[in-house]
Amino acid sequence: MTSILRFGVGALVAAALAASPLAAASAKDTVKIAFIGPLSGGTASIGVGGRNSAELAVRLRNADPKAKYAYELFSQDDECKPNVGVQVATKAAADRKVVGGITHYCSAVAMSTVDVYHKFNLPVIVWGAVLPDITYANDYKEIHRVNGTMVNQNEVAADFMTRAGYKTWVILHDTTDYGKGHNAYFSKFVTEKGGKVLATFGVTADQQDFTAELTKAKELKPDVIYFGGLTPLGIRIRQQMDKLGINAQFEGVSGIVSDAFIEGLDPKLAEGVLAFREGAPVEKLPGGQYFLSEYEKAKFDQGPDAYGAFSFAATNLLIDAIEAVGPDRKKVTAYLDDIKNRDSIVGPITFDDHGQNTVALITKYVIQDGKWVLWEDSEYAAGKRKLAGAK
Amino acid sequence: MDLFGQYVVNGLMLGTVYALVAVGFTLFFGVLDVIKFSHGDVLMVGAFTGFTAASGAAALGFSHPLAQLAATVVFALAGTAALGAAIARWLILPLKSAPRLNILLATLMLGTALRESVRLFYPDGSNPKAFPALLPTSSWQWGQFTLRADSSILVVTGVLVIVGLHLLINRTRLGLAIRAVAQDEETARTMGINYTLIVLVTFALGSSIAAVAGVMNGLYYNEINFGMGLLLGLIGFSAAIIGGLGNLYGAILGGFLFAALQMIGAVAMPFASAYKDVFAFAVVIALMAWKPTGLIPERASDRV
Amino acid sequence: MLNRFPPLAVAAAAVLAGMVFAIVFMEQESDVAVISLIAAAALAAWLAGRAGVAEAVSRAALASPGALSALVAAAGLGVVAAFAEDHFPLLMLATVMLYATVALGLNVQFGYAGVVNFAGAAFFGIGAYTSAKLVGSGVPAILSLPLGGLFAALVGLALVVPVVRTRGHYAAVVTIAFAVLFKTFLEVNDAFGGPQGLPVAAMNVLGWDFGDAPTLFGADASFYLNYALAAFALLALAFTLVRRLERSWLGLALDAVRLDETGAACYGIGIRRNKIFAFVLGNAIIGVAGALYGCMQGYVAPTSFTFSDGLILVAIVLLGGMGSPWGMILAAAIVVVLPEKLQAIQEYRFLLFSAVVIAILLFRPSGLLPRRVRRYFPEGGR
Repeated sequence: MTSILRFGVGALVAAALAASPLAAASAKDTVKIAFIGPLSGGTASIGVGGRNSAELAVRLRNADPKAKYAYELFSQDDECKPNVGVQVATKAAADRKVVGGITHYCSAVAMSTVDVYHKFNLPVIVWGAVLPDITYANDYKEIHRVNGTMVNQNEVAADFMTRAGYKTWVILHDTTDYGKGHNAYFSKFVTEKGGKVLATFGVTADQQDFTAELTKAKELKPDVIYFGGLTPLGIRIRQQMDKLGINAQFEGVSGIVSDAFIEGLDPKLAEGVLAFREGAPVEKLPGGQYFLSEYEKAKFDQGPDAYGAFSFAATNLLIDAIEAVGPDRKKVTAYLDDIKNRDSIVGPITFDDHGQNTVALITKYVIQDGKWVLWEDSEYAAGKRKLAGAK
Repeated sequence: MDLFGQYVVNGLMLGTVYALVAVGFTLFFGVLDVIKFSHGDVLMVGAFTGFTAASGAAALGFSHPLAQLAATVVFALAGTAALGAAIARWLILPLKSAPRLNILLATLMLGTALRESVRLFYPDGSNPKAFPALLPTSSWQWGQFTLRADSSILVVTGVLVIVGLHLLINRTRLGLAIRAVAQDEETARTMGINYTLIVLVTFALGSSIAAVAGVMNGLYYNEINFGMGLLLGLIGFSAAIIGGLGNLYGAILGGFLFAALQMIGAVAMPFASAYKDVFAFAVVIALMAWKPTGLIPERASDRV
Repeated sequence: MLNRFPPLAVAAAAVLAGMVFAIVFMEQESDVAVISLIAAAALAAWLAGRAGVAEAVSRAALASPGALSALVAAAGLGVVAAFAEDHFPLLMLATVMLYATVALGLNVQFGYAGVVNFAGAAFFGIGAYTSAKLVGSGVPAILSLPLGGLFAALVGLALVVPVVRTRGHYAAVVTIAFAVLFKTFLEVNDAFGGPQGLPVAAMNVLGWDFGDAPTLFGADASFYLNYALAAFALLALAFTLVRRLERSWLGLALDAVRLDETGAACYGIGIRRNKIFAFVLGNAIIGVAGALYGCMQGYVAPTSFTFSDGLILVAIVLLGGMGSPWGMILAAAIVVVLPEKLQAIQEYRFLLFSAVVIAILLFRPSGLLPRRVRRYFPEGGR
């Protein structure tokens, strides 16, 4: 009874308002794809870059006459907060028109939303979060990831830093799974390679003042301050190190590889900061130039930032799946699970039995004259400039 | 010992900022018996106004840091003074006879409105802004102890502002008028004091002191964001309350006490330093149970 | 004009119209439709007020309160049933009902006893974290709701001494400090998941698995239907409790404490005892709602229970009209549903709420559905 009532009245209202754009529907069926990332807050430049890249992939496909469906990006802001992430993930997953998702840069958010996607059988491809547990902690067929995990980047980082002659570290990390993960892997690898961790401090993700932690760190006179966390905290810690007269080398993780990190700092302080990121640099990839030039043409108001290429590749992969098997969540999941050696602009993609793409390559970055520069191309590697306290 | 000195300097810096915020709460409470909870967000607006002025001055070709600093301070103070007076005129005075809770709520909501407006309407307002370092950054080293020129200038400025305010309240005719209004509105009126004007001036004064704290905060952390006022406002309010409302010395005491609690919580307690705010606020609650009207109670304890 | 009809019939018609409106409103997706419907509703409410519907409803409420409540409850269930298959509208409806329950708890504190509590979100959070820790850990799920309330009440007890000793602004600082403390504590404490939060298992009450989609008349319903029904039961329970309380001698004592402490004390009403009673009871109600909310969301994190969230809860109480249980439900519906339905204002929701609350404080301090003056005798019986 109620559903009849509901339908009848609903139709009446729709007719009365006559505002429905149904008449303009195109010949192709519209399929919705969710994009979820941090569109506001301190990591927004990464999120917006990712969103633009996903949007670009959708636009390019919609312009292709051979595409079977018309795609629409359902873009949501997770604010890099787990609870907001769960809310918007539920919103996207509960919408029956959404067939798949390109989801999350912040690991803490991705970690909390995997249950939601599993519950609603929504296939998703993670485009930036690096915590291994996102794909490995559960056996969820719905979760896939195009970028690598933080394990490899910390192994390479530990190796690189000890070779450069650094001996002692003080670690600051945020207390989400993301920061804790970086701390765990980096301490493990750096100790194996003969380095020494003098102290470890966990800090909350919105902490403003680090003078207490840094004053303690200063007393220990480390060669390097390692920071496992995201851009906003990275900026504050780097600044307050300077206030307290700490001259140690600052070493970050993939979470600070972002244009916003450099913009937020005095050029003098940003200079010489090191960080590591999984995957090859975009401009060196075969499809990278194509992606960058198309991105340029689309005239977005900001660049793709560090993870735009991954988001672009993930969106393309998801659309390929929908083209192949139709807009059905379960079929798309099954299709994605079987991806082997698929070409993409971030290199060949192969999902293992947990949906994890196996990316071995790690890129080393250093900030030089206000830009993230590949270590190999930098004046530091050439010996023209020196890192802080380099032996 | 060197480290102890470092902690003391850090604590002084924080305490000065807190005291400046708390003083504003006390001033408003003094003249109107109200809490203006949007105070922290007025501070944030001050910091953003200063930031805009500094960027504007730089864009106009004033490259010298002192010129930019002057623009920052002038615009921040003027902007917040006007904002504070406007809040008093159109929000607080109309609600003067309403229940206290309503005023508290109205100003809390105004704070949210200010915060959200900056987030939504300031260009790229949801992201933190890099506040320029406009003070000399040279530093002195004594062993482990580092004293930076900019931090010292900030602490000294803060202390001077507080001393100046004290002199203004106690030594000038304006201060006399403010104290008169604070003691008894009716009598003050009959003595020929322009009540509304004094209230507006007090709010302008308190708000511009908040702007000083906001700009100090920006210069110290080199970062401002739309949410910075919320916690600073809460801390300033707590400081004013534990000191005892309506008492300038109480506010100053409360400000430095809170900073000291945070430092103790971070350094001297057996738990992790991240618990420092939990510790500080827990002590605030305990203090309220012990001294329900603050450490320095109002002289007339029941003013109703 | 409406005097010719029996009041109960008019009230029934009004409730039915409200139900149809709610269903149609939740169906709409375009902003134009939503705004037109809101405008239509405002106009209809104004016309109905002119035609004396409100009077008829309140007379019906006085004459046969049970019948009216039953009507509204049936209408509420009707709305839930209409969306039995849709995840998102059900989630929204359940959220409305839980927020309304929380507002009822706060109402006991603010509206009756005059005890301020800015830490509503924190007590809500205590309930939610209770289920996060308990559900799925061997404790029967049926206990997790009352335990959520119990823990909220117990933690609240720790604040009782400063809350009853302080007054006015000094009292506000106690709960404000607690709200900040609570969130910071959760963020730094590993046992409660830190800043990242904790997943919550689906409830399983005596073999009824809340995570499973029930089958109704051959159609697969959304699993949120379970939560919507549970939230409905909870709201009905809290509502009955609060209404009974208001009309009892206890409620009368609470009113006296709020309005004039000295006067109340002169008549032998225990100020402290009554304040403690209201504070603890309110927190318990909030905690139970929080426990169910945690299960429903499937996830709890410190950033859901901040001081600002507490302010939203207080805004609901104020918007509805302090002391007015029906107002709480209306205000909760507006505050939860409106920003979700109006995509255009979603970004601006906090700004709009704060502006609306300020406007209400300035121009209509008694809220949308102001509390009526207490009547000691039914009409006609004087």
